[in-house]
Amino acid sequence: MDRRTASLAACGVALAAAIAVPFVASRAEYVLDVLFLVFLYGAMATAWNLLGGFAGQVSFGHAAFLGIGAYTTAILTQLGISLWIAVPAGALLAGAFSLVIGIPAFRLRGPYFSIATIGIGEATRLIALNWTSLTGGASGLTLATAPPLIVQYFAALALCVVSVALAAWIKVSRFGYALAAIRQDPDAAETLGVATTVAKTQALFLSACLLGVAGSIYALHYLFISPDSVFGFGTSIGLVIMPIIGGLGTVTGPLLGAVVYTFIREQLAATLANADLLAFGLLLIAIVVFEPRGILGIIDRVRSGKKPPPEIAAVGDG
Amino acid sequence: MAEPILSCRGLTKRFGGLLAVNRVDLDVEQGEILGLIGPNGAGKSTLFRLIAGIMHPNAGTVTFGGHRITNRPAHDVCVAGVAATHQIVRPFRDMTVLDNVVVGAFFGRRPRPHGPAAAREAALAALRFCGLEGRAHSDARTLNLSGQKRLEIARALATRPEVLLLDEVLAGLNPTETDQTLELVRTIRSHGTTIVMVEHNLRAVRGVCSRIVALVNGSKIAEGSPEAVLNDEAVVSAYLGTTHA
Repeated sequence: MDRRTASLAACGVALAAAIAVPFVASRAEYVLDVLFLVFLYGAMATAWNLLGGFAGQVSFGHAAFLGIGAYTTAILTQLGISLWIAVPAGALLAGAFSLVIGIPAFRLRGPYFSIATIGIGEATRLIALNWTSLTGGASGLTLATAPPLIVQYFAALALCVVSVALAAWIKVSRFGYALAAIRQDPDAAETLGVATTVAKTQALFLSACLLGVAGSIYALHYLFISPDSVFGFGTSIGLVIMPIIGGLGTVTGPLLGAVVYTFIREQLAATLANADLLAFGLLLIAIVVFEPRGILGIIDRVRSGKKPPPEIAAVGDG
Repeated sequence: MAEPILSCRGLTKRFGGLLAVNRVDLDVEQGEILGLIGPNGAGKSTLFRLIAGIMHPNAGTVTFGGHRITNRPAHDVCVAGVAATHQIVRPFRDMTVLDNVVVGAFFGRRPRPHGPAAAREAALAALRFCGLEGRAHSDARTLNLSGQKRLEIARALATRPEVLLLDEVLAGLNPTETDQTLELVRTIRSHGTTIVMVEHNLRAVRGVCSRIVALVNGSKIAEGSPEAVLNDEAVVSAYLGTTHA
């Protein structure tokens, strides 16, 4: 059995287990709640990774797309509009917004692009905070009814599966080669015929649409959203941390990172306020110093029993 | 004479007060190997970048196959059929040698290979052509300079160019590698690709080029057969200094 077949089989087993969990788990409510978050964060991190990991365009403002999805669904459902319309509308609106900001932001490269995305993220938060007639301002929006937890669970699982499958397909496709070339050397990519701005914009659009759907699921789960929760800078940072923990630019790394992230957030934040932030800080330092390829890098090292290659694509690469 | 495949008219590029390329007219005939020579700072590489769309001129036009390609972005120029190698090699360091070339095969001039398998096949063919197939699965950063220069050529070839711009592909190579690379250049031409090469190695230029253009201080000062240009008084004095005569 070659590696490809093996990893496909592993994915199949994991998916079967995830589908079976709601029907077999004891304390199902709690288990479902945690796994729901893992899948939701996994989908979000995988979506961020399409642009930040594959194409090396590190965005610190991706909460904007999550927030647009969340607010669109909250506002439309308050108006009595069906979720079948509200959720796609949220995704498309997030995608449309990504096109609007992508045009100016992609004129910038490397750290300059990243800094611009901080501004974009904060700008959307401030708009949500001050456009009171639409968003309710600082007091946020409350949704009337949530779908049953099991429906939420399968929605998050489905989004996660779609995101990871999309990432796996992109990785080996023509589009994936364009993104990898852009990450390593955008000028060399251009001279080989890669329309770099178009490819980056496509990656951003896909990423934004997926985060828009994630935002809708988030709103339907918590039934309350505010500018600081969905548009907050902390949310954007979380989207960066998860892929780094798991393995930047890999297919399954962001999902692994989401497992660690969810565990630290749910366990530590509950016992000691802000302890999770301390843990993420230490974790990031450890990763950057010892294994910039994250969890997948450690797995790779254990498997091959080798030291990492001397030069490793670091976070700020490209 | 047939219509030139690539031609520049009045091409000009300024960097602040410096006139890097000054109203250069250049015609490249289908199927030739044209050498572009000149001392350091003559504007050879800048002229290449203007043709390849990596930089855009302040004035003048570039025409390829009867179409204006002036001010088109670099990726458009490559897709149109003009591929360039970089003077300072720029491999995708963390990709394998094969994957580097697959990028060129996937993009570049149409018709493009359909699907990853066809792109890999095309890339392998380009690697075989350049004598790199043995290193296909090594990471690009592990190649030595000669290998990286060949990789530049293989990547550019994989884009199926009609005109190939080679920017100092011989620089830093030893005599054996130089001869191998010159042989490769001849083979590429014999397969129908027109070649323009910037080169400092005058012995090599004399051996491989059918025609030479000399640039000094951004202006074209001589053009013609290798013998005529290399013996031209203005060219000799530009290389050796004016006190020589």
